[in-house]
Amino acid sequence: MALQAGEIHALLGENGAGKSTLIKIMTGVVQPDGGDVFVDGRQVRVGSALEAQALGIAAVYQEPMIFPDLSVAENIFISHRDRGRIVDRGAMRRDAEAVLDRLGVRLDVGEPARGLTVAAQQTVEIAKALSLRVRVLIMDEPTASLSAHEVRRLFGIVKALRGEGVAILFISHRMEDVFQIADRVTVLRDGRWISTRPRSEVTPASAIRDMVGRTMGDFFRRTPTRPGDVVLEVRGLAREGVFAGVSFTLRAGEVLGLAGLVGARRTDVGLALFGIAPADAGEVLVDSRPVTIRSPQDALRVGIAYTTEDRRQLGLVFPLSIAANVTLPTLRRYLSRFGLVRRAAEDAVAQGFKERLSIRAPSVRTAAGSLSGGNQQKVVLSKWLNTRPRVFILDEPTRGLDVGAKAEVHQIIDELAHDGIAVILISSELPEVLAMSDRILVMREGRQMAVFDSAEATQERVLATAMGQLATPAVVV
Amino acid sequence: MARDIFRRLVRWEGLLLAILAVIVVVTGIAVPGYLNPQNQINLLELSIEKAIVVLAMTFVIVSGEIDLSIASVMGLSAVLVAWLKEQGVPVEVGIIAALLVGALCGLFNGYWVAVIGLPSLAVTLAGLIGYRGAALLLVGDRSIGGFPEWFNRLGQQPLLGPFPLALMVFAVLLVGATVLLQFSGFGRYAYVVGSSPEVARFSGVRVRRVKLAVFAMSGVVSAFAGVLLLARLGAVRGSTAEGFELDIITMVLLGGVSIFGGSGTMAGVILSILVVLNLRNGLALANATGNTQAGVIGALLILSVLVPNLVAAARSRLGRGGSAEAAVIPKLSDL
Amino acid sequence: MTLLLRRVRPEQVRELTLVFILVAVVAFFATQIPNYLAWQTFTDISTGLAIIAVAAVGQTLVVLTRNIDLSIGSVVGLVAYFVGTLLAGTPGMPAPAAFGIAIAMGGALGAVNGVIVAFGRVPAVVATLGTLAIYRVALVELSGAKTVTTDSLPAWLLNLPRMSVVSLGQLDVRPLVLLALAVVIVFQLVLSYLPYGRRLFAIGSNPDAARVAGLPVERDVFVAFLLSGALAGLAGFLFLVRFGNITVVAGQGLELQVVAAVVVGGVNIFGGSGSIVGALAGATLINVLQQSLIRWPAVSAFAQDAILGLLILLAVASDKVILGRLRTIWVQARRRDEERAAATAAEQATHGA
Repeated sequence: MALQAGEIHALLGENGAGKSTLIKIMTGVVQPDGGDVFVDGRQVRVGSALEAQALGIAAVYQEPMIFPDLSVAENIFISHRDRGRIVDRGAMRRDAEAVLDRLGVRLDVGEPARGLTVAAQQTVEIAKALSLRVRVLIMDEPTASLSAHEVRRLFGIVKALRGEGVAILFISHRMEDVFQIADRVTVLRDGRWISTRPRSEVTPASAIRDMVGRTMGDFFRRTPTRPGDVVLEVRGLAREGVFAGVSFTLRAGEVLGLAGLVGARRTDVGLALFGIAPADAGEVLVDSRPVTIRSPQDALRVGIAYTTEDRRQLGLVFPLSIAANVTLPTLRRYLSRFGLVRRAAEDAVAQGFKERLSIRAPSVRTAAGSLSGGNQQKVVLSKWLNTRPRVFILDEPTRGLDVGAKAEVHQIIDELAHDGIAVILISSELPEVLAMSDRILVMREGRQMAVFDSAEATQERVLATAMGQLATPAVVV
Repeated sequence: MARDIFRRLVRWEGLLLAILAVIVVVTGIAVPGYLNPQNQINLLELSIEKAIVVLAMTFVIVSGEIDLSIASVMGLSAVLVAWLKEQGVPVEVGIIAALLVGALCGLFNGYWVAVIGLPSLAVTLAGLIGYRGAALLLVGDRSIGGFPEWFNRLGQQPLLGPFPLALMVFAVLLVGATVLLQFSGFGRYAYVVGSSPEVARFSGVRVRRVKLAVFAMSGVVSAFAGVLLLARLGAVRGSTAEGFELDIITMVLLGGVSIFGGSGTMAGVILSILVVLNLRNGLALANATGNTQAGVIGALLILSVLVPNLVAAARSRLGRGGSAEAAVIPKLSDL
Repeated sequence: MTLLLRRVRPEQVRELTLVFILVAVVAFFATQIPNYLAWQTFTDISTGLAIIAVAAVGQTLVVLTRNIDLSIGSVVGLVAYFVGTLLAGTPGMPAPAAFGIAIAMGGALGAVNGVIVAFGRVPAVVATLGTLAIYRVALVELSGAKTVTTDSLPAWLLNLPRMSVVSLGQLDVRPLVLLALAVVIVFQLVLSYLPYGRRLFAIGSNPDAARVAGLPVERDVFVAFLLSGALAGLAGFLFLVRFGNITVVAGQGLELQVVAAVVVGGVNIFGGSGSIVGALAGATLINVLQQSLIRWPAVSAFAQDAILGLLILLAVASDKVILGRLRTIWVQARRRDEERAAATAAEQATHGA
């Protein structure tokens, strides 16, 4: 694909389509295996972040990288080396205001960056890039945390940038944003370029079709289960500023898929149910009895387990053995009278899971960190299965896994349902959600949009709901 | 990765073993009578209180924290026993009081770190100064001696065969600490909390409790060591045990326990204690002053962290280059 | 209250509180100790303060970058001893030369720390704990356990503390105090007006962002340690001037007082915020407390350290709890202002359209 000076180019694609990797290549974080990168017609190799900066390539992410203790003006100019020996506060203020002016924004440039809203911090980063003479500005999900008014302001800024001849690569899941601002639209799917068209030739429907275009047959088919009694009931669950109005019921043996795009706040619902980031409003009932969950211990006590989406940071202790990881939440069960770990019992349990889930490893004493992604995920699943949960919340369980490993995890989920566990499957992969779920709850920006029965759900319908495109969302509980 | 860790440990402990062997052999040749068991015991005695605190400190560092106040708690507890004796309180009661105070100091430290969330460096630095201050308040610039005969005897004379009480206590605590760290559930929790407090939290581990326990343990053990020190010295000043933290932290870090927490073994720590003690002894016999010994220990401390870093850096440069930046780039929105 | 909070930043509140506490403490002791509010007291306090203040300036630079320098006590002792011996051996040495040597030596010692921390990636705690011991050993070896005595030192050195640069009635301003003041002013300016100074704040505020932004993090941290050492060397010179008799335990424990001064003075132990002036205020508060307690018969002179420890804890705890709370309130208030402004702007836009 090509970016022209003075255009706003939208990049669309589902999670896993390859957008992030593309950005990493453009900003010099990773190197491509093949293909070429040209800037101004010259072939270049972006070897490092500094080289990207020199080429005029800058990126602004969802989480702005600012210095909270420095003022706005200083944040903009901190990496400049050509401002002379003495810091001229007055000149810095004026120059900062000038840059912000080019973007059509007014901020108190003397104020510490900590006090800024996320939107303002983003603006500061854009101003920083502009001051470094950016040619290509990559914006990764810039509107995900912004209010409507802030989005309007951001668009003003982006248009101003375009006026200055900057090429803007705008990655977003929000159709209305894309269609308001983009000049051209590129769609990626499964790591491949699918299409690049001028905005006039694209409709939301055609874009979604390009993004999704996969047949359903490739995926694991659930074996039918008869759902049991209602295990979990959630009414009006909310956490101020994060999500609100989440309500659903869940039966034993049922799989509820939680679909949505980045910023939908599905993980936050999971964290609330697991007690890491408790909700401040709403009710949770387990077996028709109201429960308060304010810590993971509370959650475990009522039988709720949660596997995190970030396996590496939050799921496993890498230097520890498989067995030790598997027994971590339930270690008390494996302690002798004197508090010593009964290794044999621990190993036996781990061995059991190893066989049941086909975890490929030399032994249960191998360090968890040395396993492949798929096997690591199985260890994570084992760990929580060992807590004998009634409700199992799986957050992106097949993220980063290859096809074979994915299929294995899907099979495990199927067995979980058969064992009578109520499963909440949070996944950004639509086909997976559609194939595995009995019902699908779609969220968008912290709000519950609709609950579909698997029979009436199609990829287009779910994606459209997740993007807010469906005019009258079918709210079926 | 366990294989790497295993290899690293084997290498680290093997290295320690090699260094120990060298030190012992060299000193054994240079100084006649060095390897005489009685001599060894005498020399070991001189730093046995520090070695005892090392055992507790290992837990603190493994769990990802640090305790700079240990030496001050040692001093405070010794001073407390002495001061209580002056007030007419029997030494036996004084010892119990000292242990309680040690536990309180530890819990105090732990409260600010685990519950309020302050950095342990700052809190225990305040403790280092504050507890020492408390000791000075009690004893001023005097020296208090004149302890009952049984107390002095326990501290200075061999108890069982050639072994003094302190050495026996150390041996018992050594076994206990090894079992606790390597074989018990609590030890497992300590490793996990140090390795990744977030994973621990997400796995239902009570991180707060673990940290409080670790600090309380550090306080009690330091207090106990202080009492043993008092018994051995027979007298106490406001400055007793000043500066001990350097040796203690060095012995832990040199034993292969990472300052960042989550790794290290008791075996390594034991070897490191032997290395440091023998090094000190050897240097002392070579007429190097206590200060020189401290200097060598200081160099060892720096090297124990520097060398692995340099090795890792060299390895990454010889291996893949250029992905070092990946760690610094902010998390992108999806894969 | 919120109105006030909107105008004044939390960090400024912190500094003002410190000054307020200082005034309160002085007022309190004035009621307890006769002749407390005399210029003599000021002179006594300020001369002792000069040494700590100079070292605290260096420590501030290091702490701003999220590091710490525990070796300065040994550096002070080592430099004081070395320069003292040098002066005793070469009586004709001009004062500026001795002065320069002190700073250069301190800088070299600081540079060693800098290399180990910035390039060896050894955590500052470990590195400076180690050099604390190594430098002390060097001192002992160098001295052969001998003492630098006042009778071996040149006259100009010995008279320096007693000289008065300016005399306003009963107030004697000593050269040491002026020197310390000059250092404070110079480095406050460095932090405020030199790009290097601003980068130090950036590094402590967000080390990852600093790297991503292409700032020379390793080089800047190295220089911070070098400067800290150089200032410790200067403090060592002042130490020599003040005490004359230098033993091998000179400066021992100084680092604790300096770190305490810096922390109490509002420099965040995590880096990124604080000021030299704040560190000076912290050093002053501590020194005033110490000197006042000595003069106050009601409390044992040995209570100093205990109170110091308590002060540090209070400072760090209150920073986390109160400052954190203030910051949240402040940020929320500002955001609400922004939203309100945005809403009115939006209204005007729709009205205008």
